[in-house]
Amino acid sequence: MAEEAAPLLELEGVRAGYGAIEVLHGVDLALRPGSLLALLGPNGGGKSTAMRVCAGLHPLAGGELRYAGRKVNGVSAQDAARLGVCSIPEGRGIFPNLTVRENLWAATGTGARLADLEEKAYARFPVLGERRHQLAGSMSGGEQQMLALSRALGTDPAVLLLDELSMGLAPMIVTKMYETVAELVQGGLSVLVAEQFARAVLPIADTAALMLNGRVVAAGPPAEIEDRLSSDYLGG
Amino acid sequence: MSTFLTYTILGLVLGSVYSIAASGLVLTYNTSGIFNFAHGAQAMFGTFLYWHVTERWGWPVWLALIVVVGLAGPAMGAALHAVIMRGLRGTADVTKIIVTVAVLLGTVYLAQWIWNPDEAHTVGMFFGAGAKITVGGVVVRYHEIVCLAAAVAIAAGLRVLFTRSRTGVVMRGSVDDPDLLRRNGHDPERAAMLSWALGSTLAVLAGVLIVPISGGGLDANALTLLVIDAFAAAMFGRLRSIPRTFAGAMVLGLAANYVLAYLPSAGTFTGNLRVSLPMIILFTVLVVLPQDRLRGAAVRTRERYRVPAVRAAAVWAAALVAAVYLYSLLLPESGVTTFALGMTFAIIALSLTVLTGYAGELNLAPLAFGAVATVVAFHFGVEGTGLAARMNIQGVLLAVVAAALVGGLVALPALRLRGLYLALATMAFGEFLSNMVLRDTTEHHLFGTTFTLFPDGSLVVPPLKVGPLDLRDGTTFLMTATVLFALIAVGLAALRNGGYGRRLAAMKDSPAASAMLGQNLVRLKLSVFMISAAIAGLGGVLMSSATGTVAQENFSFTGSLALLMLVVVAGIGYLSGALVGGLMAGVGSAVLVSTFGDLALANEGMATIYTALGHLVLVGTALVGMGVGRNPSGFVHDIIDGYRAMRDAKPVLYGAGALGAVLYVLALTDVIGTWTFALIALCAAMLLPVVGRSYLAERRTRPVPLELAGVDEPYTDELRARLDRELGLTAALEKGGARVTA
Ligand SMILES: Nc1ncnc2c1ncn2[C@@H]1O[C@H](COP(=O)(O)OP(=O)(O)O)[C@@H](O)[C@H]1O
Ligand SMILES: [Mg+2]
Repeated sequence: MAEEAAPLLELEGVRAGYGAIEVLHGVDLALRPGSLLALLGPNGGGKSTAMRVCAGLHPLAGGELRYAGRKVNGVSAQDAARLGVCSIPEGRGIFPNLTVRENLWAATGTGARLADLEEKAYARFPVLGERRHQLAGSMSGGEQQMLALSRALGTDPAVLLLDELSMGLAPMIVTKMYETVAELVQGGLSVLVAEQFARAVLPIADTAALMLNGRVVAAGPPAEIEDRLSSDYLGG
Repeated sequence: MSTFLTYTILGLVLGSVYSIAASGLVLTYNTSGIFNFAHGAQAMFGTFLYWHVTERWGWPVWLALIVVVGLAGPAMGAALHAVIMRGLRGTADVTKIIVTVAVLLGTVYLAQWIWNPDEAHTVGMFFGAGAKITVGGVVVRYHEIVCLAAAVAIAAGLRVLFTRSRTGVVMRGSVDDPDLLRRNGHDPERAAMLSWALGSTLAVLAGVLIVPISGGGLDANALTLLVIDAFAAAMFGRLRSIPRTFAGAMVLGLAANYVLAYLPSAGTFTGNLRVSLPMIILFTVLVVLPQDRLRGAAVRTRERYRVPAVRAAAVWAAALVAAVYLYSLLLPESGVTTFALGMTFAIIALSLTVLTGYAGELNLAPLAFGAVATVVAFHFGVEGTGLAARMNIQGVLLAVVAAALVGGLVALPALRLRGLYLALATMAFGEFLSNMVLRDTTEHHLFGTTFTLFPDGSLVVPPLKVGPLDLRDGTTFLMTATVLFALIAVGLAALRNGGYGRRLAAMKDSPAASAMLGQNLVRLKLSVFMISAAIAGLGGVLMSSATGTVAQENFSFTGSLALLMLVVVAGIGYLSGALVGGLMAGVGSAVLVSTFGDLALANEGMATIYTALGHLVLVGTALVGMGVGRNPSGFVHDIIDGYRAMRDAKPVLYGAGALGAVLYVLALTDVIGTWTFALIALCAAMLLPVVGRSYLAERRTRPVPLELAGVDEPYTDELRARLDRELGLTAALEKGGARVTA
């Protein structure tokens, strides 16, 4: 990486926690424009907390959160979303008691048009089109995740934050989801993915970072991190 | 035919108002997940405001409507959301319900303070009662047409809002996952505030519309309950669907009027049935309509309780009995009687601790089970007449069994229900009982016997006599009640520590998980409900006999709610919470209010101030109840934590003990008054943990022992370094930061 562009999203020395318990002890991360950064590490390492910090949902106790070089500590999640940070939470990022179409409607809060969202979502995932009037909570896990991902398709964000896309899904579907993500990256989107299962995301990642006990202990090309992973935490 | 038409129109009109009230309820429930028990109270308050500006200030109707329905209504709702409701995210159902109940009570107390209940307040129809048209021989008033039109317009408008507008979609989304709404660029608090404002407006509108068609008289309690009748309509739509709520409201209104039209009007039966019909329908709808599935994941809530150890409970129980005895020596005869009454309330409160604190289920009508037991004991357990009359032990036992059985019967059909619905079922039962049984003063003939359930509208309940133990004596009564409280409390502690108690706790934390582990939830819920009802029955009989003469008011819905609220405020997960909450409900407010009442009578000059103080006490307790959202575990929890920390501060404890003994001797020898003693003792008990903490802080030069480091403090680098140093791990750490594989 010679001509490094300025990062779109950056964490520097970020500390955060729940009540008196600190979970992130100074995290450094940088997401370059148009790249996919995979944040890897075992359960409980603090990946989700870091993702929530990036999305403006969790207060920082120290350090800096920067969007495109600007310090935005304390930004609200609404504002983060309007600034073009599309974040999809762990679990299912959908409203189970709304229909598929109503879910897409709710996703227009950042200024997109419902018609555009529907068109792009149904084109990419035809099954959603067939179920547009079904309650989202009554769909299968994979379909729900497709719906969640549709928000990234239609709202034209600058940064996409994805937490555990693979959680509870069949490998086939995970592969398909990450194909979609890879296409988005090719289209110029910058993506930060938190994953426990490195195999799913490493093939499409540009950079990877390893998070252990609330610290990023290594960052670099995916191949390097993969070696590190298998020796350090998978135990060979 | 014309009778039928007339009653149909009246039914539709009543249904319209129910529909307006119920849709407000559905709106707030769907956006905030809070079932607003205070909905009726908001309606009541708004209607009083309307009365005030039209009757007292003489404003024209249109101006009053704009100001009260258009401005005060939304303002009230928005304020409720901003100050109270938004703080309730992440709390248990119980806490949410109690906070709205506190708002209900506070609003009623406030209204009775501002608008003297002894004066008549009447609200007239729009365009006057004389403005009417005649259609097919049936007279229809303009006001009634307004009701019908408003209800149709509102139902249609809400349906459109919910399904055809993004605002409505966002509102519905905010209950599921407010954070996800934020990620989508919306402000969930704005959506929630909007819905509270709209819901409150609908409540006020319903109040202004319903008072004229139900007689015109405005009474704070009655109007609040009248709007609560609309709960049944909301339940038709499972608290979700506006069209079904509308249909349910019409069924409700029609049924109420057909009962009046076609059932015999002799006796009290038809009138009572008419009043309790909405609650009967509510109960039926709850039981018959299909249920939500059990929630998959455990709900992570903010309430935390410690489990009592049996031995500690026994020690505290003995200490309680001793303390009460010593204190009773200081009290005059009347004081002992009041104290005994409070102790009977504490026993009823124990029924809530086991049911809500341990098992996570709710009973909104504990006093109703006390009423069942009282009626049974009165009919089967009284020997002798006049002053020589006594209750026998068989009567009490039979009463307790009856309460348990009725508790089982009420709970059985409702057992599949989730917390809120079960709570509503108990509320429906309580109201039904209050209207059908406690007002039933007519003679019945059954199996050749003639009896009256509630002769003259009140029962004289004599004190209990078992062998040589005669509760006619005040102190004996007090001590018996205290010992019973202590015994039941220790029994409950044992229950909680046993396998049964652990199963209850598991069910409370995650019904789905414990069902999956093979627990029979139905049997578990049924049994705990019956245990709870039995305790409430015992407490109820004692409460009745401590009161002497009881009537419908002694078992009222608001009474039950006030008791429940105070117990939650004190800490419903604790046996001591039951004691404190029960005493507050039975003694606290009654004593304070009557004291201020007496003071007001005694000094005419200060009368207004004292009366105001009396009202302030009531509103104040409700305010405390509203604060439960901030501290959902109750204040007893904080005090206990304070004392727990003091185990190391022995000198402070001994000093406090000595101070207590000195004060007591002073009080016993009449050097200081009983009130002074009580106040000083209470303040000292509250302040002791604070003193202890500063004492401990001074002594904390010794560092935390190694094995306790990091247990109740954040795990800092410093601490880690210290651990490594003392464990001799310095070398390992220096080898490479990334190799900390913990
Ligand atoms: N709501 C919460 N309250 C308290 N602690 C939490 C909460 N959520 C996560 N934690 C703790 O924070 C740590 C990091 O969690 P998380 O960020 O979810 O890690 P990951 O996503 O890598 O599995 C864990 O130790 C977890 O127990
Ligand atoms: Mg995670």
